[in-house]
Amino acid sequence: MQKLKNIQENKSNGRSVLVIGGGVGGIRAALDLAESRRNVILIDKSYSIGGLMTQLDRTFPTNNCDLCTVSPHLSENTRQIHLDLKPMTQLEQLTGETGNFEATLVTEPRYIDIDKCTACGECHKHFPEAVRFTPGLDPRAPTCMRYPQATPYAFSIDMEKVGDIEALQKVCKADAIIPDDMQKKITVEAASVVLSVGAELFDPAVLDNFGSGQFDNVVTGLEYERIMSASGPFQGDLVRVSDKKQPKKVAWIQCVGSRGINKADVPYCSGVCCMYALKEAIVTKERFAESIETTIFYMDMRTYGKDYELYLNRAKNDYGVKMIRSRPHSIIENSETKNLSITYAVEEEALQKTEDFDMVVLSTGFRIPETTIDLANRLGIELNPHNFAKTDHFNPVVTSKPGVYVCGVVESPKDIPETMVQASAAASMAASDLPAIMDVPESENDFMPERDVSGEEPKIGVFICDCGLEIGGVVDVDKMVEFSGTMPHVVVSQAVGYGCSSDSMAMIEASIKTNNLNRVVIGGCSPRTHETKFQDLVRRAGLNKYLVEIVNLRDQNTWAHMGQPREALDKAFKLLGIGISGVCKSRPLMDQTLPMNQNALVVGGGVTGMTAALQLAGQGIKVYLVERSPALGGLAKSIRKTIEGDDVRPFMNQLIDDVSANENIQVLTRSIIVDHSGIPGRFKTGIQTGPRMNYMQLDHGVTILATGALPNRPDVYGLGTHNSIVTQLELEALIENDPKKIKAMNQVVMIQCAGSREPDNPNCSRICCQTAIKNALRIHAIDPDIQIFILYRDIRTYGFQEDYYREARNLGVNFIKFSLDNKPEVWVENDRISVFVDDVILGRKIQIETDYLALSTGMIADDETTEDLSMMFHLPRTSDHYFLEDHVKLRPVDMSVRGFFIAGTTHSPKTIRESITQAYAAAGRAQTLLAKKEINLGAAVAKVDSSKCAACLICIRACPFSIPFINEDGYSYIDPAKCQGCGICAADCPAKAIQLLAFEDDQIMAKLDGLFGGLN
Amino acid sequence: MKNFEPEIVAFCCHYCAYTAADMAGSKRISYPSNVKIIRIPCTGKVDAIHIMKALEKGADGVYVAGCLEGDCHFKNGNTRARYRVEHVQKYLEELGWEPERVAMINMSAGMGEFFARTALEFTQKIKQLGPNPIKIINTDKNQKAVS
Repeated sequence: MQKLKNIQENKSNGRSVLVIGGGVGGIRAALDLAESRRNVILIDKSYSIGGLMTQLDRTFPTNNCDLCTVSPHLSENTRQIHLDLKPMTQLEQLTGETGNFEATLVTEPRYIDIDKCTACGECHKHFPEAVRFTPGLDPRAPTCMRYPQATPYAFSIDMEKVGDIEALQKVCKADAIIPDDMQKKITVEAASVVLSVGAELFDPAVLDNFGSGQFDNVVTGLEYERIMSASGPFQGDLVRVSDKKQPKKVAWIQCVGSRGINKADVPYCSGVCCMYALKEAIVTKERFAESIETTIFYMDMRTYGKDYELYLNRAKNDYGVKMIRSRPHSIIENSETKNLSITYAVEEEALQKTEDFDMVVLSTGFRIPETTIDLANRLGIELNPHNFAKTDHFNPVVTSKPGVYVCGVVESPKDIPETMVQASAAASMAASDLPAIMDVPESENDFMPERDVSGEEPKIGVFICDCGLEIGGVVDVDKMVEFSGTMPHVVVSQAVGYGCSSDSMAMIEASIKTNNLNRVVIGGCSPRTHETKFQDLVRRAGLNKYLVEIVNLRDQNTWAHMGQPREALDKAFKLLGIGISGVCKSRPLMDQTLPMNQNALVVGGGVTGMTAALQLAGQGIKVYLVERSPALGGLAKSIRKTIEGDDVRPFMNQLIDDVSANENIQVLTRSIIVDHSGIPGRFKTGIQTGPRMNYMQLDHGVTILATGALPNRPDVYGLGTHNSIVTQLELEALIENDPKKIKAMNQVVMIQCAGSREPDNPNCSRICCQTAIKNALRIHAIDPDIQIFILYRDIRTYGFQEDYYREARNLGVNFIKFSLDNKPEVWVENDRISVFVDDVILGRKIQIETDYLALSTGMIADDETTEDLSMMFHLPRTSDHYFLEDHVKLRPVDMSVRGFFIAGTTHSPKTIRESITQAYAAAGRAQTLLAKKEINLGAAVAKVDSSKCAACLICIRACPFSIPFINEDGYSYIDPAKCQGCGICAADCPAKAIQLLAFEDDQIMAKLDGLFGGLN
Repeated sequence: MKNFEPEIVAFCCHYCAYTAADMAGSKRISYPSNVKIIRIPCTGKVDAIHIMKALEKGADGVYVAGCLEGDCHFKNGNTRARYRVEHVQKYLEELGWEPERVAMINMSAGMGEFFARTALEFTQKIKQLGPNPIKIINTDKNQKAVS
């Protein structure tokens, strides 16, 4: 049973950051701060943390199960000595100012002592009515625990619904019931506050046209997630509510309650619904039946995120999701069959069509609830007209009140990766109100001593996860348990449900202790994501962390072979055989450590690189800012105004001045990176710098890549053939520099997606729709008589950008839709430009003569730069040459190589505001490493057996890092602190005198034996 | 040998090939379940003896999958692995085995589809080659023993 330590005594001598809201954003912010050795108080009004994400079935674009992806984050909490988690707690009042806030917190009674509760569930069995929470449609509402991985893992009781309190107390064997528990009020000191309370989803029952709440088979997107979820009302079966039968036809209606002007509508775009509808449609086909027909009714498909366009293409082309551009007015239910009919307008034909569906999903968006408005008042922060937090022009995590920061959906509608980025950014900003990180002393944190298992025969415990349906739905967990039980040395073999849930972890820990196990095998997901977690678990149980082996039953088995359960089961047996046989040869090992180099290298001197450099410098970190061009500024220097109307130039000039004047930043312009070596925490990067290209070596612990992207200039629509055919950037410069020339125009045409969303550059450039609308509005402001046409495929003004789209339409800007297979044509005759486009509404091709043609060409990755750097730093890239982050959802600014972070447009196209957020996020993530004085190198180092070494020098020649040398005793020596752990020397050593610890030859042989056990 | 299902061992480096295999899974891209992965830090760690032992113990095919050439996290582990695989291939040829039973494959961490495709191609190739000769000998022996 894992418990959260109350470390109040730790907190009294250092100031804290108060994080309000324990959704995925609040958790990320709190973890970042705690990892940087900052004290955090995380409060959430609910009885366990996790927020909205824990109710989702799967998340786009990876289609992973959310519980699995979020749970490592949640339980990370329990490891953090700097983190004080207060569930069921709300902020009553905030007084004081930045650096010296006083927060009054009110904690509601749980009536259960979470330190005693073992979460056995007895209280619930006898008092099922004392249940507070109903996730989605779940009629069973099994517990107050919202999902199996709940943190903290304890029940909560609604005392008003308990009749016989004494009987309840008797039921609890752990004596954890506190019948007279009371509301508690405490005052805490906080240097700064991060607000991450999220938002609610719109309840469409207030609309009378879609039958939500009246028709059984009309559900919201979230309810559909609950229906598909393994922990949902139908245990993961996709069935209709009315007759519990699998639907054959499912439709989604987008923008329900969003992008509207009717009663109960909000005008903004919720930004995530297009993607979640696509996800739900894909998962429906993938998991339930390929034959289920899925149709999405949409206005514009807004797949503007990184690689999201590819997801849309997959949905359409690979899964056959039907896309219909129409906004249906209403749903009519057949009272007998409970089927639903939708009448919609067909775009290409001037007629209406009626179609029947078995189920209809309403894609509803985010709303700010009254409670948040009230909380904002108590915090003293301003809200925007849509009731979201009002933020700084160039920094979306800074609110109107100094010292109060904001992240996630409460700032604006957004998806999980963007929430994660903002959370890290807000944490980074909040930390800057505390003493600089370099001045905070490091404290010790020790586990219990390790049990000496040397000389013991292996006693293995095998624990197999079903991971909901992810593993258990494809292969029979009981059969795997039975199989493992027959293997030699296995003394415990059992199924553990969600192995990473708190109760399973506690059960495994107890089993290790009671059965005196000395080896552990976990059959579950990939060791890449969960090894650390289970290593910590066995460590807590008193075993060395290298005595656990993770068998990848999910990512490399049930996910890959979901269609062949028989083969998957056979493979599962063999993988378990490999793991069990291999773990017998595992030995206890010691991790190596080295002092951390606390300097940072920032590559790229644009707005992103400069922002990150300043943020790190503010924490007392020495920063090398390397820029290849002669001056700082990057692409943002050519942008004049944001869509909100803010001047970019003064902001940029200020930024450049601040960077140049900062003592902790060494600016190296005209510099290119030429070599790189070292390990995370101790990198050495060589640059050639200055007009003479002098060589210089930089020592640094972390690297932030902010090399940006390039403005695209594709050879389309006559770009480059005529002075008046230009890009949006050039149009913007003209608007700024020569408004007279604009005034002289009569017609301006803009063509969207010029060179984007096409087969050779399939992604969306994200920024072009808002850029076109920004420029259209500015042209209109110069002369309202100029006719402006924007030819588009989907207008992607996500979030509050929708306000400007609506304004442009109201002001008479003409929007004409075209499709990829029927693109506009541009003719230049006698210096006159004509654009031909099919007008769907008129049903014929129209010709627009124009004075000026602006092409929305967007951005393109800087292939040459990212290729060079990816080779040098060994970092992966996406298929369109942007850097590929470690995890698109959960680690959006971390790279797969520790110590590397990315920010800005080198990650994917984005606006200045978004780039700045990511810059703060990368700086914050970098601090989680730099805050440590030591680097853990792991234990996988090469070790020489001197009795076998013949000093043949082969290892010395083989090592790519020149680590081995012949010592004074005449044999090869490999310094464990310098060894990188590749094992090349071990493979080359002819005498087999070298072994790579954790991957020794006998372990590899044992694994092969485990695989072929039946054959030899 | 009509329904011959080969047993294939893939030594995959942690940084690229193993991650690519996870990626294939998370994208739900199917590949033959014949392939069983053994994770190693770098393909440079794979010794000729590991490949030979895998064949001796009954693998019908073995491949080593590492990072793209030039992208090895340990500089040149994958090129060393390629030499060793080529060495084993020559050795197999001398023994009268098909050298194609072992292979070196390079991929990046993001190439989930490629991982699945190469797993399929390699499995098909081994299916054509038929079972590991050792297994045939053993089966023959067993049959003789029975008769």
